[in-house]
Amino acid sequence: MTAPKGGYFGKILEVDLSKGEIKTRPLSDELARKFIGGSGLGAYYATSEYKAHHDPYAEDSFIFVGPGPLNGTFCPGTRASFVNQSPYTGLISHAEVGGHFGSEIKWAGWDGIYIKGKSKKPVWLSIKDDKVELKDASKMWGKDTQATDDMILKEMKDPYARTAVIGPGGENMVPYAAVIIERTRAAARTGTGALMGNKKLKAIGIRGTKAVPTVDAAKFTEAAKVALQYDVDREAWQGIKRWGTGGLLEQKQWVTSSLVTKNFQTTWYPDIEYIGGEQAARTFWKRHVACNNCPVHCMKLGVVRDGKYRGLIAEGPEYETGGLLGSNLLMKDFAGMMAMIELTDALGVDSISMGGVLAFTTECIDKGVLTAADLDGIKPKWGNADTYMELIRKTAYKEGKAGKLLALGVKKMSQKIGKGSEAWAVNVKGKEIAAHDPRGDKGRAYSYAMGQCGGDHHEGDSPDLQARWGMINSLCMCSFVGGVPWLKETPGVVVNMLNPLCGWNMTDEEYWATCRRIITTERCFNVRESISVKDDRLHKRFLTEPLPEGPKKGTLFTAEDEKKMHDSYYKHFGWDDKGIPTDATLKSLGLDYLIDDIQAARKTL
Amino acid sequence: MKEESKVPEIINKETSRRGFLKGAAVTAGGAIALATIGGVKPREVKAAEAPKAIQRYLFVERQNCTGCRACEYACNIKHEGVVRPSTARIHVLKHKGVVDVPVICWHCDDHPCVAACPTNPKSLTVDPKSNGLIVNEKTCLGEKCMKCAEACPAEYVRVHPDTGNPVMCDMCGGDPECVKACVQQSGKPQGPCLVANTLGFGVNLAYRNVKPVKAAEDMIDLLFYPSKGDRPKTGKSGKGR
Repeated sequence: MTAPKGGYFGKILEVDLSKGEIKTRPLSDELARKFIGGSGLGAYYATSEYKAHHDPYAEDSFIFVGPGPLNGTFCPGTRASFVNQSPYTGLISHAEVGGHFGSEIKWAGWDGIYIKGKSKKPVWLSIKDDKVELKDASKMWGKDTQATDDMILKEMKDPYARTAVIGPGGENMVPYAAVIIERTRAAARTGTGALMGNKKLKAIGIRGTKAVPTVDAAKFTEAAKVALQYDVDREAWQGIKRWGTGGLLEQKQWVTSSLVTKNFQTTWYPDIEYIGGEQAARTFWKRHVACNNCPVHCMKLGVVRDGKYRGLIAEGPEYETGGLLGSNLLMKDFAGMMAMIELTDALGVDSISMGGVLAFTTECIDKGVLTAADLDGIKPKWGNADTYMELIRKTAYKEGKAGKLLALGVKKMSQKIGKGSEAWAVNVKGKEIAAHDPRGDKGRAYSYAMGQCGGDHHEGDSPDLQARWGMINSLCMCSFVGGVPWLKETPGVVVNMLNPLCGWNMTDEEYWATCRRIITTERCFNVRESISVKDDRLHKRFLTEPLPEGPKKGTLFTAEDEKKMHDSYYKHFGWDDKGIPTDATLKSLGLDYLIDDIQAARKTL
Repeated sequence: MKEESKVPEIINKETSRRGFLKGAAVTAGGAIALATIGGVKPREVKAAEAPKAIQRYLFVERQNCTGCRACEYACNIKHEGVVRPSTARIHVLKHKGVVDVPVICWHCDDHPCVAACPTNPKSLTVDPKSNGLIVNEKTCLGEKCMKCAEACPAEYVRVHPDTGNPVMCDMCGGDPECVKACVQQSGKPQGPCLVANTLGFGVNLAYRNVKPVKAAEDMIDLLFYPSKGDRPKTGKSGKGR
């Protein structure tokens, strides 16, 4: 146990909500170097503290909010990672979110926030450097994310503070509830919002005044400037600068044929012209917004200029929100789509899962297995924003029959509805998938099926990329910036930053081993929760229903594709053909503490 | 790309009225001034342009800010060597998650902060060359005084968390790092938000007298609600539901 020399403060803020206790948990240099931070460190805590078959809503369940070592430094585009066992899927899950929240944690002098226990009454966590308090949140309870953000900043008396809050979705424990950062960014897909609601933790407000300790500041800054310059110059980012990820909506429709459409029935949606990036640039966007020190500024804000929602300021459309709540629901009404995106943010539910659930519900109505009577008289119709708006609201409050049903998510909905509806309940490991159709973009199958959170688009599109992503999510870097950790130039760019920052002598080999260690640790957690090769699969719609239209008409994600995916993936990480890490792999990665658990789990799988 | 390449040229060009007057003053003749207008460059003015122009004012095109805080980071790297925004000489205020407003020292010609400094001699002085503010860390009364902060019409002055003294913009001696960083990372296609010395005279008081939150509210109206009465009471720009 040695204290870290640089990059880390060597302490994690530990909050026990049951007892109202605030403690400091030490972080040693060895542990930091092994698991880096963010999702890696969160996975380490989950595997070392939980027993197998852990209940996500148990008293000792934690939420780990981890920045990485590069947060709060000159490195561009760093984020924050919310890690917890997802109450939605039961798997270890991490949500990376942009903005300045992660850096502010570092500036307050902490390497992460670890929250466990359950409070009896609503509280919020106020952090000003070393001054940490739990405060009463009964006035904020029930308020939406924007109003809560406003109240937190007022109570902290600091307009420069940063917030992470939940909305009614989280309070009512909708399992796919999100945590909303700075009013516009969502840490979602992990059920962290529901877990915060379960703990009665309404919000975190944070402000710091310190600097990250750096071993060799001059050398580090030089290395970080290389990473920054790379992002300024890189040709591929110029379009993202102009159109954000919203510009990909048209591209995925016309070129790669992987735009989610009508609950994955097709990928052909020419009407994307009404709701895509170009339309937004013409009629909606007003300004670009960037995360810390980022030259890419992919977030766009705009205002609806006409019609019913005139005057509504909203963020997006991004590729995922514009896909799932746009083309997936056959929207042609741009303002209606933006209102839906804005409503999911305000109520604090994950717009990706929400889009998946709405599309599934509509298909159920189409196929006649669900009627308006089951949904409190609301009959969702493709492209009709009004019915969808009402359903989103009901879901967040779990109101009536419709709200209770939709808050289950597609997998449990299809189990409840029955009548063959699982044929179009598109999910992986119990979670709706993001907006890339894996038939058109086969790489995405890795991200969805093999990624440890399940169904996520941010897990890497090949075994190699997935290993890299393990590292990115632990460093809490953005996929667009920070030396672009998934290009051939890495690990060089990243290692050159880490070594002078932390005083390490990390080599490329150690970098790759760390990548594999983080993914394998997450996998071990999931193996203990009975996940194996049988769960690493796409939904059968992608294997049985060929694309009906578009440039890739007739394409399927075949059984051979799946076999190839499994073999290459398990081989890359040194797991056996059931997808369980071997003892030799665990030993070589220094994960000896997991060997017994995995041997026990292997017998049952 | 055009926007990008145009900007440094403008910044580096000595087109300010100040430089022009300076040239006129040296030769003490109106004829030279007329000659300047006529496009013939007199030798003295050329000499003033010589190696690198000294920037004497900052200005911010608020609507161009993306909120990336590159200016804060660059300021910190120059002065502290590590990033620590609480000690930066420029701040970016995010308001309602909708607009970002850079809070800068406008380097006013009347220097209300210097006028308010109670010590004798003044602990806060102006560098005549770069117009930057210099705090005398030894004689400054620090946190218990902060008369400079009270006097600042732009609510710019902050207390240093360690020393307790005000943190003041020194213009990096005439070559501000924040401007360079902003030019490099500015939004496409609208261009950078921070500019230095393109005005030709001191900053318009109407600009600096607006407090950051008011400026942010104005920005919301300017960007999102140009026609009166469009702004709703709820939603992002309002108080929420």
